Amino acid sequence: MTTVIEVKNLTKRYRDTLAADDVSFSIEKDTIYGLLGRNGAGKTTVMSILTAQNFATSGEVRIFGENPYENAHVLSRMCFVRESQKYPDDATPRHAFRIARLFYPHWDQELADQLIDEFQVPMKKTIKKLSRGQLSAVGVVIGLASRAEITFFDEPYLGLDAVARQIFYDRLLEDYSRHPRTIILSSHLIDEVSNLLERVIVIDKGRIIMDEETDAVRGRAANIVGDTAAVDAFVAGREVIHRESLGRVSSVTILGELTAEDLSLLTRAGLDVAPVSLQQLIVRTTQHAGRTAGDAERAASDIDEGALR
Amino acid sequence: MNRTLNVIRMQLVNRQTYLWVPVIVLGGAFAITLAIYGIIASAGVEGPMYGGGAQAPLWYFAVVGAQALTLTFPFSQAMSVTRREFHIGTHLTAALTAALLALIFAVGGLVEQATSGWGMNGYFFYIPWVSDGGPAAAWLFFFSLAMLFFVFGYWGATIFKRFGTAVLTAVLLGIALILVGLLWLVGRLEAWAQVGAWLGAQGSLGLTLWGLLLIAVLIASSYLTLRRAVP
Repeated sequence: MTTVIEVKNLTKRYRDTLAADDVSFSIEKDTIYGLLGRNGAGKTTVMSILTAQNFATSGEVRIFGENPYENAHVLSRMCFVRESQKYPDDATPRHAFRIARLFYPHWDQELADQLIDEFQVPMKKTIKKLSRGQLSAVGVVIGLASRAEITFFDEPYLGLDAVARQIFYDRLLEDYSRHPRTIILSSHLIDEVSNLLERVIVIDKGRIIMDEETDAVRGRAANIVGDTAAVDAFVAGREVIHRESLGRVSSVTILGELTAEDLSLLTRAGLDVAPVSLQQLIVRTTQHAGRTAGDAERAASDIDEGALR
Repeated sequence: MNRTLNVIRMQLVNRQTYLWVPVIVLGGAFAITLAIYGIIASAGVEGPMYGGGAQAPLWYFAVVGAQALTLTFPFSQAMSVTRREFHIGTHLTAALTAALLALIFAVGGLVEQATSGWGMNGYFFYIPWVSDGGPAAAWLFFFSLAMLFFVFGYWGATIFKRFGTAVLTAVLLGIALILVGLLWLVGRLEAWAQVGAWLGAQGSLGLTLWGLLLIAVLIASSYLTLRRAVP
């Protein structure tokens, strides 16, 4: 594998908040990444620093081994249309696409035309008059048709209806399999995009709390459902990230892979195992990290180093 | 270089900003001025008549300069354009439109001289102390005047973009204070005669060259601000 993005100890401080707190990670070539996290977790900040639109307070970013700042050679191989992208005042989608074609060397007009048709982008309206969904569609068309070696999608589905979202996911996978490239998809609708993602990076309060292959993540947790006493006996000593009870029945989410021994133990105790969706897992890990963050570094480091790595 | 030239095409998407509004402002100011000259001339006044209406499109260039940054810089970032490419390309766009406007003024001045002020001794484009240096000097004068307005608008917009409204206001007030201070100093030293003589000695060409120097300083300083600006 070739590393295309290398981030070391990246910190971004706004007046009173840390949008990125000593973040380090790397991104491999030709892989689809999910950059997941709550609103305000720091996803857009990290992406705009990677594309040299914003500046880090400290730390180092290398794209294709180089510093991206004012580096036309590196920048022209990346595409980042932000969720709140501003366009020239009089610009229509037609203008925006024509300009994108000038700047992106691998621009595919045929693909752009197809997407424009499928998303029903109104080509002659000025962009400032478009609806939220149409605005998102303009960004999606630019992101896909630019075929940049590293493409960022920043919450690309906002305002898109279910049909349009499915078109986006289908076209993304289709075009990716024909023209492999690195794609970083930021999202808080985790389950909807989880099938696309090969790796997930979860960011919370400016810190990375998960950086793993999607399949591995799914196997890392399970819901144990059944009689409260039996559930409690089974989960004793394990990392519990969520607990729900209704009467005498409990559903407890635990981290850690279940061994064959565990499974037979569960059968004997009459307990059920339910899979945990990626979204559930991430939501609960995030909440868990939030709860324990207050009462010491120890709990947080358990999550970082123990259970999740 | 290719990408820098493409920035010009990106800027010219704003047809309304760069083309239609200036044309309307210029055409409107011209029509109104001539109508007033007509009224005055029909009252039997022999002129010559000069008006300030031609300034209107020049002032508008300050607006164009500000909008070139605020409206298009964020999009240029999404097109993976470097700040340097954006800066140079945008000023090339400005130079292009300023050159065109200056051409209209220079030619308009010649026409007014040839027709003795549209046959009623009324002048819109022609300014004696500028146009008497020849059409090339007149062109350069109007070109640098338009550029100066543009560059000033752009310079202010970069400060706004990077530091916000409060800092921009403070900077503008600071400049006004310095200018007032200079006026006071000249008065205090009783040097108005010398200042007048110096301005007279520069002539329109000399002032044009000083203007070009100021333009260069503003372009360089706005680049330093833009280098760390965030869309």
